[in-house]
Amino acid sequence: MSNRILPIFALIVAIGIFFVYVSPTWTGSITATKKAIASDDQALAAAQTYADQQNQLAAERDKIDPIDLARLATFLPGSVDNVGLILDLNALAARSGLSLSNIDVAAPAASGGSMNPNAAAAQSTMSTSPIGSVDLSLSAIGTYAALKAFLSGVEKSQRLLDVQNLVINGSETGVYTYRILLRIYWLR
Amino acid sequence: MDLPRTIPTSFVPQPASTAARRFHSDFTGAFSFLAYAVLGIIFALAIGVFFYGRILSATKASKDAQLIQAEATIDPATVRGFVQLRNRLSSGAKLLDNHVAFSNFFALIETLLPTPVRFNSVHLTVTGANTSAKKIGLEGTGVAKSFNALAAASGAFATEGRIKDAIFSNIVVNRDNSVSFVLSASLDPTLVAFAPPSAPASAASSSAPLP
Repeated sequence: MSNRILPIFALIVAIGIFFVYVSPTWTGSITATKKAIASDDQALAAAQTYADQQNQLAAERDKIDPIDLARLATFLPGSVDNVGLILDLNALAARSGLSLSNIDVAAPAASGGSMNPNAAAAQSTMSTSPIGSVDLSLSAIGTYAALKAFLSGVEKSQRLLDVQNLVINGSETGVYTYRILLRIYWLR
Repeated sequence: MDLPRTIPTSFVPQPASTAARRFHSDFTGAFSFLAYAVLGIIFALAIGVFFYGRILSATKASKDAQLIQAEATIDPATVRGFVQLRNRLSSGAKLLDNHVAFSNFFALIETLLPTPVRFNSVHLTVTGANTSAKKIGLEGTGVAKSFNALAAASGAFATEGRIKDAIFSNIVVNRDNSVSFVLSASLDPTLVAFAPPSAPASAASSSAPLP
């Protein structure tokens, strides 16, 4: 009788081990671990690619003269800094012989470029663009030669300034009044 | 007469045949062998699965550690720096392409406009974000000493070509025979396009009044 019972018991134990431990472990934790390892491998490959690209970019950046990088940062600064710019514009106007009477922040000329010197500060809302912009309105008095010198300085300034609007009102004395709308840019 | 061998000669019961007993014992042995073999295989499989799971867990722990180490080497400030540099370079190039230099216009108008014609007021307006959509409007009022002088100015604008659609309106002859006018025109964007200096290194540093 025991000759039959023991093999049957062994078979039942084997089936039990298979369905209770082997199969659940294989399809459960082992499969999940294999997936996690595959995911880690992908992440490690991406990290390696990133490290290679970072080294390549660093090498390319190091080829650029640090002075040029500094000028680039001045050309398109990381903040608005309109107060510092107004000081510089005042200095430029003084050097050019132009007398600035009023400087204000105006809304960007999105509505056809009309002058709006008393508008509240506003910046362009191009959400997709990394560049922000705002308009500065200036009122000035001076000769035509002074205006030309001032405009030349504005056009060649290291910080990018675009004249968006220029109104010249003449007089018999040769001293004119000007309203200038300048657009300034910065990197967001 | 001899009886056939298949006919029993006695009614006393006899034990089962030896062939049947052998078959029964062979079947039991085979079944036992099969059951123990299956148990052995499953047991070996369970041990294999156990150790394979341990190996996989150790491998995953190692990969996780490598990943944490790789993540630690990534500096967000460096990434930000690269992104900013890329944005500066690409956006700066676009902005420079659209940079406006009205000095070119004034230099042109000084050569085009006859001396007897002068402006009382000038209004220059830039609209549009990029070169293709950019429009530069010119509106002005002025006085010419004579009608001929005004005609010469109109002809000069037409000949030059970059001051487009120049329309002189509200033309009024004054008591002193001077002619007042209102000018409306549009400028070719190339006329006010900024041209960088030919020697950028020296010229830029010397001609940059603003930091």
